[in-house]
Amino acid sequence: MTTFLGAVLAILGGVLAAVCGGVGSAIAVGRVGRAAAGVVTEDPSKFGKVLILQILPGTQGLYGFLIAFLLFNQIGLISGDIAALQAIEPLKGLMYLCACLPMAIGGFVSAIHQGNAAIAGVGIVAKKPEESGKAIIFAAMVETYAVLALLISILAVFGIK
Amino acid sequence: MAKLKMKYLEIIVPVDESKRIFDYLQHRSVIELKKHDETEGLYALNSGRTPAQLEKFCDVANDALGILNKYVPESKGLISSFFSEPEELTEKEFNERAEKADSVLALCYEICELERKAAESLTAAAKHNALRDGLEPWLNLDLPLNFRGTDSSSVFIGTLPSDFSEEALKTALAEKLEDGIPAVEVISHSKERSCIFAACHSSEKDNVFGALRELGFAYAAESESGIPAEKSREFEAATLSCKAEADESRNKIISLAERREDIRFACDYFAMRKEKYESLNLISSTQNVILIEGYVIENKVDNLVKNLEKNFNAAVTVSSTEDDEDAPTAFENKPFAAAVESITAMYSMPGKNDVDPNPVMSIFYYLLFGIMLSDAGYGLLMALGCGFAKFKLKPKGKMKKTVDMYFWCGLATIFWGALFGSWFGDLPNVIATRFLGREPLSVALWFEPVQDPMKLLLFSFLFGIIHLFAGVGISFYQMWKQGSKLGAVCDCIPVYMLIIGICPLAVGIMKPDAAIPPIVKTIGTYLLAAGAILIVLTAGRSSKNIIGKLGLGLYGLYNAASGWLGDILSYSRLLALGLCTGVIATVINTLGTIPENPTVRLILFIPVFIFGHIVNMAINLIGTYVHTNRLQYVEFFGKFYEGGGRSFTPLAANTKFFKFKED
Repeated sequence: MTTFLGAVLAILGGVLAAVCGGVGSAIAVGRVGRAAAGVVTEDPSKFGKVLILQILPGTQGLYGFLIAFLLFNQIGLISGDIAALQAIEPLKGLMYLCACLPMAIGGFVSAIHQGNAAIAGVGIVAKKPEESGKAIIFAAMVETYAVLALLISILAVFGIK
Repeated sequence: MAKLKMKYLEIIVPVDESKRIFDYLQHRSVIELKKHDETEGLYALNSGRTPAQLEKFCDVANDALGILNKYVPESKGLISSFFSEPEELTEKEFNERAEKADSVLALCYEICELERKAAESLTAAAKHNALRDGLEPWLNLDLPLNFRGTDSSSVFIGTLPSDFSEEALKTALAEKLEDGIPAVEVISHSKERSCIFAACHSSEKDNVFGALRELGFAYAAESESGIPAEKSREFEAATLSCKAEADESRNKIISLAERREDIRFACDYFAMRKEKYESLNLISSTQNVILIEGYVIENKVDNLVKNLEKNFNAAVTVSSTEDDEDAPTAFENKPFAAAVESITAMYSMPGKNDVDPNPVMSIFYYLLFGIMLSDAGYGLLMALGCGFAKFKLKPKGKMKKTVDMYFWCGLATIFWGALFGSWFGDLPNVIATRFLGREPLSVALWFEPVQDPMKLLLFSFLFGIIHLFAGVGISFYQMWKQGSKLGAVCDCIPVYMLIIGICPLAVGIMKPDAAIPPIVKTIGTYLLAAGAILIVLTAGRSSKNIIGKLGLGLYGLYNAASGWLGDILSYSRLLALGLCTGVIATVINTLGTIPENPTVRLILFIPVFIFGHIVNMAINLIGTYVHTNRLQYVEFFGKFYEGGGRSFTPLAANTKFFKFKED
């Protein structure tokens, strides 16, 4: 049992990254979708513009998935390498867990706030569709922090040898 | 290749030429009108029709066109309609068609009226149909539903809220009426209700009614007099005739489909007229002459003035707009740079002192886009798709610029993808190892980011620094040109020194195994120190006293250091988004090749490959577009761009379906 503790901690880290990112994105994309549906009932031609806004906070889920995949690939979970999984020391597993935390927390929080910015952006599209580019930029400003979280998690996962 | 210079024109023509010259200017779309400042002694031109009226006409024409398109869809492909070319009209052809516009408008009204009639007929048909359905349970009754009996008899026709057969109803009534039951008949019955007929002598009316009420009896709807079967036939006939009327109206509309071209013209014509009448209040007039003022792009002035003086009895004054804060701006660039004009315009048009950022920005835009998408396969698809659109469909105007932009972005993506060895993720490797049974291979011309992310992170910062330095360079050029040469030198050179000086030290810290010659580090240290001192000495030059100078200088150094740190770190997204595309593409390939059996593997791989890569490409395209814009807007433009300008919007014929031939 103890032989797998390291692997369990590492997998927990990957799972956290994927789940938190995914849940945050799901909440945010869902909220933007509701706002977007309201605009489309008034004017179906704005579908394309609000769709982009809806997709924007979806990237955090993708980033979380990415971290989980990279990590699982590195520790040999994807290839099913039992010996490699057993070889992970508990402390190293804990390091992997910590490496995933920036993406898990940063992804979850930034997704929700990016969603809120995107909802406000849907309002811009409703009233001034020609300014939809600016609405996209507002939402994208929040994404910076998801990208930074992704980056630090990637560097940490790659860095743990 | 830059921002276009504007000239200010004042045109004076006799009142009786006003309509002709106004049309001329609108059809040429060369002048942005501006209202004359002095209003004394001048009054606005009056027009018979108001813009609101014309807007109504325009709406009617558009509605009519929409109705026609609903019944007789145009046989045009989706893509070709996207790129469809407006028809070219000469002035003469336009005038010929314009004469018919009012009769076409009548036609549009007729189409809308026919559509309204058709809709009404359909509603009536539905109503009659519903009435007929309501009579369905009563068809076997040979009395009118509202028949209540004769002098000596009482008749009850109505419903009970549960299922009764004739026997069951008789039993139920017998329990309640001791003196014998009335004559009853169940016309029809279902689970929800029974339709019944009962008759009795009028002296027993109250007893029978009471018994029936206890069972839940309610009279049938009274309004219909007439035998149900007959009424039903009448309703059916009415339904059919209403449907026929609707069809007739529709057929009339369909027969008008050949006038579609005329209606299209009317849409544009009335939209144009509306725009014209909306602009009329920008024109001043006296008893005898009108005064038209506005901005014209410099290189079109000579031709315009020549034509105006030739065709009209006009006096034109041209003046410079050097000191005019309100003058609008327009871009003119080679196609390579023109493609990103809309990106700049989305941020803001250049202000009075800004240069046109597009030529410098375009190169960086494509390259940064390429690093972030960073998959040669996706780049190839983009470049091929846009190349096809460019040469086959020949888009014009804005659409052409967009296609151009994605074409160049695609090429840059191929470039970076090839350097990083990413073709649809690790497709070459997957084919080699999983389908051909060869050794793993890498096709990277430079290196694979996944193998050494730290290296690409450092290069991302380097690309960022080059991008930002270009921005500072433009700022230098702008300040120098405006005569603030000291400011240009003091604000730009020390920053260059500071950042260049810090690079070897930062690389040494972030990548300890990188071999940096000690001499470079030493030079770097001195450059850094010199830059920092220069900033402290010069950043406070606007302050009068020595303490203020020092304080502002230190603050300037802090600002430069923290601002640049944030700006440069922001370029780490180049690595993050690049990795994101590549790794997810690799995941897709891995998922597609899970099965051990080679045939099953191939069968699974093809759909997974197509679907997965389409989704990945779409998501990453959006992300890349957004983040490239951000790097341009926040980091690059932040270094030099003021913005706040206004786009040149001439009085024009903003038509959808035709355009004027240039003369």
